[in-house]
Amino acid sequence: MNSAGTGPADDRRLLERIRRGDTEGAAELFERYGPALLRFSDRLLADRSTAEEVTQEVFVKVISRAHQYDGRAEVASWLFAIAANACRDRRRRERRATVVPLEAVPESAQRGEGIERRLMDREKREAVRAALALLSPEQREALVLARYHGLPYAEIATVLGISVGAVKTRIFRAVETLKLRFAEGEATWNAAN
Amino acid sequence: MECRELTEHAIDRLTGQISQPRRGDLEAHLEACAGCRAELARIEDSWQALGVDRDAEMTEDFRLGTLALLEDEMTRGRIRAFRPGPRWQRLAAQAAALLLAVGAGWLAHGSPGAPPGKPAARETGSPAANETVSNVSYRPADQAGRVAVSFDVTGRRTVVGRPEDPAVASLLAYLVSRGTQTSGEKSQAIELVSSHYGSGTKTVSLEIVRALTATLKKDENPGVRKKAASALAGFPMTPEIRSALLDALAKDRNPAVRLTAVEALAAAARQAPADERTIESLREKAFDPSENGFVRARAASALKAMEF
Repeated sequence: MNSAGTGPADDRRLLERIRRGDTEGAAELFERYGPALLRFSDRLLADRSTAEEVTQEVFVKVISRAHQYDGRAEVASWLFAIAANACRDRRRRERRATVVPLEAVPESAQRGEGIERRLMDREKREAVRAALALLSPEQREALVLARYHGLPYAEIATVLGISVGAVKTRIFRAVETLKLRFAEGEATWNAAN
Repeated sequence: MECRELTEHAIDRLTGQISQPRRGDLEAHLEACAGCRAELARIEDSWQALGVDRDAEMTEDFRLGTLALLEDEMTRGRIRAFRPGPRWQRLAAQAAALLLAVGAGWLAHGSPGAPPGKPAARETGSPAANETVSNVSYRPADQAGRVAVSFDVTGRRTVVGRPEDPAVASLLAYLVSRGTQTSGEKSQAIELVSSHYGSGTKTVSLEIVRALTATLKKDENPGVRKKAASALAGFPMTPEIRSALLDALAKDRNPAVRLTAVEALAAAARQAPADERTIESLREKAFDPSENGFVRARAASALKAMEF
């Protein structure tokens, strides 16, 4: 079995293996990036099953487009860009309302947790998802990549195909919106804490 | 630093992308400005609050399903049955010989005027009349004196065989599900499969069933999805086909596809008692006020025919 490391050069080697038709290469790339892309799509679409479909779609596209990867961006950025486009396509196609079904959020499975605590957690998650749903899709994309995936501005710019300045503006506006939203629900929030 | 720059500086700090001088400016400003200290606390609280939204976890079902899908896609990409190796190699050798001869002639005469490729091609046999060489690129001689010539070869093939033959079944499965095909070509492939197996008496290749279920699930064209559902409806019912039809009934965006799925499930129920999931899905559709009227009515009459 070909073992791979975890750096950008290893990602490129994986893509090369996929280009050569190596199924294990595709499986390794999926194991490496599948969870992150699923989380990303889930937060953008707020629908777990659509996020799963999009994640599968991304990897199927990677297989058919591996030869198009030109090496200018990191493989990770290229994957997130494909996922961001797939999510946008999905939104356009389905005109899905940005309602956030809580079923999409896994319940805590920790034993010994009281039901009150779980309800509070649920309320908090609900508040966060409702706040995220207030953002424009563009702001949400930039914020999710920065906050949950820890991508630097320059990489977010590559993923979204915009300038670093535009990335900062989107995140700035997103944070401003969230700050106001959370301030409105501060009393509830504090009670939950 | 001014108060209006606080949010920008704060985000840079929260994302770990603040420069040392800006960090210094921010800290100095915060020491002197109580309003910004309070505002910064609110920004940090908001950022922190986002953390309670836990990451979606990948289920084992989804993981295994995706790995199987990827394997399927990779296999499809590697289908060799219709580009036999020896023939490809022979053709490549012929084209390379042809191009090398052209190159050699050009080098020897300083111009490509003479047709040195012709004799070379005659020696090794010309490419088939319906095959063409294009997109040629050359690499100069390496230290060992070897040159490289790259090119694309396109051609037309005719595959003759029974749909039950594994190679033909693979080809049909590939054509039914290949993403880059036009909807019309895909529909023709589905129709061919459907007309052959439509009697419900022949054993259908699993590969074809999988290709059709994948098409029913994923194809963007509702007409193609509907054709895939109709083709599946003509096959002997299996758990895999039933599951694909139930999924289409529950999730497909197009009412015509859902209607085809209802009819297929109803027809299957006439042959053998329906399972619980089928009954439940039909019941759900029959009483769903948001469902299309035709789908609702057909689901209701299917349930009635089952005489619960």
